[in-house]
Amino acid sequence: MEQFFNTYFDFSIMGEYFGDVLAGFWWTIKLSMFGGVLALTWGLILSVLRQLPGKWLAPVRILAIAYIDALRGIPMLLTLLLIAGGLGTLASQDAIPREIGIPNWFGYPDPFWYGVIALTLTYGAYMAEVYRAGIEAVPRGQMEAARSLGMSHGQAMRFVIVPQAVRKVIPPLLNDFIALMKDTSLVSVLGFVEVVQVGQDVYSETFNPSALTLGAIMFLVFTIPLARMVDWLIKKQDSKFRRGIP
Amino acid sequence: MSETILKVTDLQKSYGQLDVLAGIDFELAKGEVVCVIGPSGSGKSTLLRCMNMLELPDGGRIELHGNEVFGEGKPKNLDVLRREVGMVFQQFNLFPHMSAKGNVKIAQEKVRNRKKKACDERSIELLTEVGLEEKIDEYPDRMSGGQQQRVAIARALAMDPEVMLFDEVTSALDPELVKGVLDVMRNLADKGMTMVCVTHEMGFAREVGDRVIFMDGGVIVEEGKPDDVLGNPQQERTQRFLGLVLEH
Ligand SMILES: Nc1ncnc2c1ncn2[C@@H]1O[C@H](COP(=O)(O)OP(=O)(O)OP(=O)(O)O)[C@@H](O)[C@H]1O
Ligand SMILES: [Mg+2]
Repeated sequence: MEQFFNTYFDFSIMGEYFGDVLAGFWWTIKLSMFGGVLALTWGLILSVLRQLPGKWLAPVRILAIAYIDALRGIPMLLTLLLIAGGLGTLASQDAIPREIGIPNWFGYPDPFWYGVIALTLTYGAYMAEVYRAGIEAVPRGQMEAARSLGMSHGQAMRFVIVPQAVRKVIPPLLNDFIALMKDTSLVSVLGFVEVVQVGQDVYSETFNPSALTLGAIMFLVFTIPLARMVDWLIKKQDSKFRRGIP
Repeated sequence: MSETILKVTDLQKSYGQLDVLAGIDFELAKGEVVCVIGPSGSGKSTLLRCMNMLELPDGGRIELHGNEVFGEGKPKNLDVLRREVGMVFQQFNLFPHMSAKGNVKIAQEKVRNRKKKACDERSIELLTEVGLEEKIDEYPDRMSGGQQQRVAIARALAMDPEVMLFDEVTSALDPELVKGVLDVMRNLADKGMTMVCVTHEMGFAREVGDRVIFMDGGVIVEEGKPDDVLGNPQQERTQRFLGLVLEH
């Protein structure tokens, strides 16, 4: 027991490397924030594209659906490696501009941006489905009632449909964000020193995984409250809409 | 009769092979209360939904105050039509994220562009009129079906429509709640509101209706004064339907 404890919870190692682990976790946070915000936006665009009305736009809808299915069906690790390898190679062959192939925006290194792109592409697909489900979960009668009162389609969406859909999509979007945050650790395969890579480096130096434990704890500090919040939101909604929806 | 408000000519609607409306003609005079009866699937809801374009008719003409709002297969002046024609649904369709007052207020504010204060006053006045002065700030999920339906009526009235359409508005209610809603409708009729009511409440049709229309298979089979159509139907199909309904 003591041996177990000393292996995973060696406080002297945790103390010594706390600053490094925290610096790594700061990158994790930044990856999550950039990836999260861009995925939210990209997902919204995708969900709008796949629901565009009319015959003429059928190709757009089909492309959007194909994209969503594909990106949800590929492991994100693979997407990440394809992006990093592909963009890097193309840029080195001058097929695409270096600023795009080996991005260095805001002074952040290229693996960071490969990670952000992979997170956006993958989680955008997941979030597009969440938005769609949210809008579709609003009963049809709501749109009809709004239109029968003289509201335009846009007004009905804005004042009646979206406010109801938002309440329904926040919990699943938060769940996706938790998953996204954890998947930032995949960027370590590109040698990027986010929190997992720091832990791994400390391990190879000390043969003790306590820095990894510390990284795990930092994750939990964020993910557990988020998970609790999701549950709380769902509970609150259930009681609010207990009888409300016809 | 006085001036015609709504005139429907040869209205057609089909879903695939099924002709749900196979040429409907009728006129609605100001202040008139028309009750539409008929078996399930005869096209009653579709007729109402076509009258305010929640469903697009395939053919025919609809005129509101002599202005064409549907013709040559296209809707025209859709915003005028929707503003002048209010609708109440079987399933209430209240907005669950708004209080009773919010429900009654929203379209006044956004569609009629009334001042906030005027909207508030009108909403309270209407909710009081339908007997819900105690429930003004209540949310739909905390109201009975009968109360929700009365909010829905107030919500439609808030647009000051010329015509109100009611589609089986008491069918989803527990029996003891039906009377409250019918009383509100009766009051409206007494005040001179022009109404089209699809209903299974034969007592209501007889007492409040100026005219009864019996529909079957997408056409008007028989129409006339309630006492005539309900008491002494001429068509065999009407007799059969009433025989079945009145047995209960
Ligand atoms: N969106 C739709 N798509 C296909 N068929 C439809 C649609 N809406 C209605 N119908 C069909 O049209 C017919 C008429 O429907 P409608 O709702 O107008 O009947 P109704 O007289 O109101 O019946 P009820 O008394 O049951 O409400 C039915 O056979 C119905 O199945
Ligand atoms: Mg019906």
